[in-house]
Amino acid sequence: MFGFCEEAMDVLSSRRADFGDIRIVRNRTQALGVRNGGTGNVDDSETLGFGVRVLLGGAWGFASSGLLTRAEVRRVSLLAVKIARASATLMERRVKLAPEPAWRDLWQTPFIKDPFTVPVEKKFRTLFEADRLMRRDRRIKSAAASMRFVREHQWHATTEGSRIEQVLLSSGADCRATAVDGAQVQERGYPCSHGGQTLAMGYELIDQLDLPGHAEKTAAEAVALLKAPDCPSGEMDLITYGNQLALQIHESVGHASELDRVLGYEESYAGSSFATTEKLGKFRYGSPIVNLVADATLPGGLATAGYDDDGVKAQRWHIVKDGILSGYMTNREFAPRIGLGRSQGSCRADGFANIPITRICNLSLMPGSAGSMDDLVRSTKRGIIMENNKSWSIDQRRLNFQFGCEIGWLVENGKVKKMVRNPTYQGITPRFWGSCDAICGPGEWRLWGVANCGKGQPGQTAMMCHASSPARFRGVKVGVKAG
Amino acid sequence: MTDQKKLCAEIFRLAGRVRAEVIMESSESALTRFADNVISQNVAETSTRVSIRFTDKGRVFRTSLNQTGGAALADAVRRGLAALKLQKKEKGLLSPPAPRPVGPAAARLYAPGTASLEPSFRAEKAADLARLCRARGMKCYGTVENGASRLTVANNSGVFASHRETWALYSVTARKGEGYGWAEQYSPDASKIDYAGVNARAMEKAAASVRPVPVPPGKYTVILEPAAVGDMLLFLGYSGLGGRAWLDGRSFASGALGKRLLHPSITVTDDALAGPAAGAPFDLEGMPRKRVVLIDKGVARAVVHDRRTAAEAGVPSTGHSLPQPNSCGPMPLNLEMAPGDSSLEEMIRSTRRGILVTTFHYTNLLRPKTVEMTGMTRNGTFLVENGRVTKALRNLRFTQSVVEAFGNVEALSRERELMNGWGRMCVPAMKIRDFNFSSATGF
Repeated sequence: MFGFCEEAMDVLSSRRADFGDIRIVRNRTQALGVRNGGTGNVDDSETLGFGVRVLLGGAWGFASSGLLTRAEVRRVSLLAVKIARASATLMERRVKLAPEPAWRDLWQTPFIKDPFTVPVEKKFRTLFEADRLMRRDRRIKSAAASMRFVREHQWHATTEGSRIEQVLLSSGADCRATAVDGAQVQERGYPCSHGGQTLAMGYELIDQLDLPGHAEKTAAEAVALLKAPDCPSGEMDLITYGNQLALQIHESVGHASELDRVLGYEESYAGSSFATTEKLGKFRYGSPIVNLVADATLPGGLATAGYDDDGVKAQRWHIVKDGILSGYMTNREFAPRIGLGRSQGSCRADGFANIPITRICNLSLMPGSAGSMDDLVRSTKRGIIMENNKSWSIDQRRLNFQFGCEIGWLVENGKVKKMVRNPTYQGITPRFWGSCDAICGPGEWRLWGVANCGKGQPGQTAMMCHASSPARFRGVKVGVKAG
Repeated sequence: MTDQKKLCAEIFRLAGRVRAEVIMESSESALTRFADNVISQNVAETSTRVSIRFTDKGRVFRTSLNQTGGAALADAVRRGLAALKLQKKEKGLLSPPAPRPVGPAAARLYAPGTASLEPSFRAEKAADLARLCRARGMKCYGTVENGASRLTVANNSGVFASHRETWALYSVTARKGEGYGWAEQYSPDASKIDYAGVNARAMEKAAASVRPVPVPPGKYTVILEPAAVGDMLLFLGYSGLGGRAWLDGRSFASGALGKRLLHPSITVTDDALAGPAAGAPFDLEGMPRKRVVLIDKGVARAVVHDRRTAAEAGVPSTGHSLPQPNSCGPMPLNLEMAPGDSSLEEMIRSTRRGILVTTFHYTNLLRPKTVEMTGMTRNGTFLVENGRVTKALRNLRFTQSVVEAFGNVEALSRERELMNGWGRMCVPAMKIRDFNFSSATGF
């Protein structure tokens, strides 16, 4: 594949590009699903293509194609040059990239069992079994189970001399039951929502998740939610964990710390950020026990790789340290704008057809000293435990948010009293993180995948992980209702 | 564009006696993105994607690829056929359908000049706006986009349906200090886009919203511009007007067809054939799309179906299939809300105290049965007092049932706007009483 890359390098060098690169990507995706005893979804997909990026006269151009021939590489490279020349007609300053050594390397996601060697029929057997076990109650109107596997093989060459080959692998699965009774519709998923748990692992993840072993409990909870009381309204303590806390981290810290957003480059679509650069090193983002660390080397992390799509080697750094805003997600274009001599390496593209943009890395809430989940509940006078995200919304500067969860439990005087349905909470980001008074210890620390993070125009999807232990937030507005 | 008919024939030859269906999409697209008064991203993409569904004796498997050359295609078909043999047999599994006549698409959906616009065209449009913004102490953000695509659905039982269209989109966010304004226009024909008009609308709103003030959350009369109405209709459509959700009892219309659920001024139609939100005249099994009146003067009349949900419901398919098999069921993708007899200006004039909303941001569904949603206001939120816009407001979060809101309609505008996103929609502006804002934000 690097032979095709040299064709692009020749074109870009001959046009005296400041910088240029080509990424050839071969992607294999297998998505399988069942619903109510029938096949819900089945697609085994393979794509191959390349994208050429050029910085010429300080302005960017990018073009891509799914036709991998030398002639097409040449045509697309010249189109990228033409686009860069058009970009140069509307610029105020020349783009200058943060320096990065030229790397020659091969990197691969570690795994035990290659999911693409596991027969499809075996995967379907597991899914149909989970589906069957969820449909024992007539109130379950929809039972569904799914698996998804992605292998992305990349070849990245830059005019600076980097030649990086990477093979990134992820696996994911879930099962989900929807119970309906009159005006009530309640859903419950295992192990979490939004397509389930996805991690940079092989089929061993599916074995560990054991969907059939959790299917009956999942369905039983969906049915129980139909008769559960509504989540009470008011201000009380919130205990959250799992993929809900992961999404809280993702939306209110991850996106807020993307430097392109902070500098206004996403203003037209996803929005900007309240965490502006003059706050770096000073702004109290959360209570002193809040430490959020970005880490492209985290084992199992969906954003874990040897290098990002700027060709920057994987790093680990604080976004929030002891409650203070301490860093950003950066690419090579914007890192110099905040005085960094090197990008943190958080620039990625969705497949071959998209330009690399600043992305959330794996971003995790470090464990605290509150012991186990049981210890946390015991020390809570009145609060709600919320699990598994159901709905999410946050304003365009990442301040005002509202989340809804699948299930809640009311805690009174240190004990879990009862299940509640339709739990929701609202908050303002720094106030919310400032109210964090307890984080469980390392024994409860788990990694959760976000496999569908959308950003950019044209729209791109990226994957990352957020690890955390259960945490408690004081005086949160819960039980938000429509009028 | 790839020669799609020839490619389909090759796939059917490779499939042999197995029933095979091909969904093929080819496109060429370009997007120039600007931020802070400069071009920030500038991209072009050429793509082809082929997805093949094999069915045989109650078994199904799908394989997809983007390489249409001999070896890659043959490998994909071989792999798909091998996997097909190992699938579980399903009773009642539908094979790809026999052909049915598909009407012509609306002719205005393809404009040859729009497909081939140069990067310099898009850069000039961005530069024109940046000049205006600099002169007014503003910053601009947005996109200039154009492209062309062809969609073909074919099977080896004789279905062959193909549709091509072009698109152009111009989207502008203008900022002046803390004031934001937004305007956007979509058209199949780039020459029909009023670039100057979009610029003027976005800049005017930004200038008018420079010093936003807070108002307490609570219930207000709202005047929603079409983009905000479209956001609500989108959720009503995907969560409640598809056959699968309706059959499962998850839809607001489940068990309620024939009943008045919304205000009598609300009529919603899905029309891919001739309406303002027209698109491909066939669904993703190649079946003809029908015009379906979903809500008629507030009364729930129908939901859309594919062959699978139609069979379960005992009604004919309306031609709204997504790729089969799927879990989510059929979806309305060409929604049109009938106009009213008012205008945005008249709605403002008739309002003693209310809030004018330009767009919503980051909306999401909370409860499907009432289509309860949450989201933020964005890009220009204004207080209306005694028939006039008096102040710019800081943004608010709403938590509101769409069914209830569409029951509290006081006026709809004659003018409608066309939007392209998750499907296509054409909607008016709307005035609604007792709209619930649940909290505020700091800007």
